[in-house]
Amino acid sequence: MLTVALQQGINGIVFGSLYVLVALGLTLIYGVLVQINFAHADVVTIGAFAAYFFTFAFGGNYLISIGVALMVGAALGWLVNAAIFAPLRERGSELLPLIATIGVSILLQNAMLLWFGPIPYAFDSPYSNKVIRLWGGTFITLQNLIIVLVSALTIVLLYAFMKFTMMGKALRAVAQDRETAGLMGINPNQLIMLTFVIASALAGMGGAMLGPILVLTPFAGTSVIVKAFAIVIIGGFGNVEGTIIAGLLVGLIESYTTQFVNPGLTDIVVFTLLLLMLALRPTGLIAEKREENV
Amino acid sequence: MSSEGRPALPVLTNRVRISRRGWFLVAAAIIALLPFVIQDSYWRTNLIVCAINIMLAIGLDFILGYAGQLNLGHSAFYGIGAYASTLLIMKLGVPFWMAFVLGMVLSSMSGMALSIFAVRLRGHYLAIASLGFAVIVHQVLLNWISLTQGPLGIYAIKPPPDIALPGLPIISFGSTANMFYLVASFAFLFYLLLDQLVRSPIGETLTAIREDEISASSFGINCTAWKVFAFGIGSALAGAAGAFYASFVGTLVPDAFIITESFTILAMVIVGGMGTLIGPVWGAILLTMLPELLRGFGDLRLVFYGAALTLVVLFMPGGIVQAAQIFRARLGRLATATDAGMRR
Repeated sequence: MLTVALQQGINGIVFGSLYVLVALGLTLIYGVLVQINFAHADVVTIGAFAAYFFTFAFGGNYLISIGVALMVGAALGWLVNAAIFAPLRERGSELLPLIATIGVSILLQNAMLLWFGPIPYAFDSPYSNKVIRLWGGTFITLQNLIIVLVSALTIVLLYAFMKFTMMGKALRAVAQDRETAGLMGINPNQLIMLTFVIASALAGMGGAMLGPILVLTPFAGTSVIVKAFAIVIIGGFGNVEGTIIAGLLVGLIESYTTQFVNPGLTDIVVFTLLLLMLALRPTGLIAEKREENV
Repeated sequence: MSSEGRPALPVLTNRVRISRRGWFLVAAAIIALLPFVIQDSYWRTNLIVCAINIMLAIGLDFILGYAGQLNLGHSAFYGIGAYASTLLIMKLGVPFWMAFVLGMVLSSMSGMALSIFAVRLRGHYLAIASLGFAVIVHQVLLNWISLTQGPLGIYAIKPPPDIALPGLPIISFGSTANMFYLVASFAFLFYLLLDQLVRSPIGETLTAIREDEISASSFGINCTAWKVFAFGIGSALAGAAGAFYASFVGTLVPDAFIITESFTILAMVIVGGMGTLIGPVWGAILLTMLPELLRGFGDLRLVFYGAALTLVVLFMPGGIVQAAQIFRARLGRLATATDAGMRR
């Protein structure tokens, strides 16, 4: 019983750390732009497919394929900002960019469906079968260990970038007050672009690591993104620390619900938590320190 | 029909009113004639689907376009209406029309509950809360197997009962023509009701909330109550659409009400022109019929939806209605230019 609980805890952290990667992108974009990028889901999916084709069609190394997916994600982020968010920014509407990216998402998913077909791809990472035994009869596959380590490293790097570099400071300045930041000699448009590139690179990378542990279809990203939405709300929109905690929390809730309650109920539990959170504490787990930026 | 799309003129002259009534008569005549023009049962089926989609689209437009609340949970209200009415008929033996009304009421109540729940939330938060609601409803339909039979679905749902009026032959809804008349006249009726609503002070109140909630409340408008009202009306229409869908298609599976369905309804509203009532009607007609015409291209239907949604938001945010206005303005300018000889 304890072994099962520990094992599910490990699985929960594996999924949770991937959710954090995906949700961080959403939260970064929201922090800077106060906008939701619905096409984030498809960046995850395309990242997963990029890694798949890199390893299987071109015989590349799986670890390098994570880097490839990162680059593909970054490129997509640039494209989504340049094509959708930048032109709509002048119009100043709160909801139009969200609606436009829903359109992009439907378009990309069904284009992928035509291209790749509905049959799930078997994305077997070479590390999926290597098992590392841990204390008390629990284990972790090498693939899952890679997921946790790469995610943790990425999150630490991102955090350091935001906190200690000049560019990271500029980014936070833009998030707090775009106009004043502009007066201080920061180019907000450049930094918004940078945010999209970083956010989507994280999503692409997340996709590459999700591919082997998820059913890889054109809709793979959507199931992740709806959870990522729940995570950013539970953690507080635009709040990086809250997102990390909420991501791990949702991963754990999921794996424990699957094990001890009923696998069919995981989404219901997660989204009921989301609605409760919205009703009781709309600012998220960690109370927002700054005033609302609307 | 496009004259209704124009923003209301400050002074409504008598002529405008008459021509509006005239357009309603034209629309009624078109509904009456369509089954005679279209005999093919496949296209008649599409006509019924189209009428159901119009009901869904104008309901969503009332919430999104008039009250300004981005609701991504319309598929859930649609599903609640469909499942509630069907289960009431099949499990409890409730007569169809009572189940129809109860389905609408339940759907409306769930819409109001969601909006009360989410009333403090603005814009994006509401969008995600309603998305979460849609996911929960779909998952409940899938997992509450003892009630909904889960993914297996419910089969052999009967069409609405025959209507026997004295002195007339019995009207049976087994025929696609009669079913079309039934659904289309309800869609038309709902359109007329919403048209009255948005032209009344209630419409202006909702628009005021959409444009600026803070100044609306400073005028003494109870924004919460009106948002709940908009959700109640919009989701009641979705419930009616669901009840018709179930009795027309005859089978219900939870996947008919996945979140993608919300997005396709959203596409109809946006492509047609949100914030006008006639826009979503054109949007529903276009996005239901055009993909059927393009059927030769395979599964392109949803690719087309996605592209239409994105391109319209980017280049023509007023949708078909705005495009028609620009076109008419160009024509008008052309006419005056040729009259005056030189002027642009």
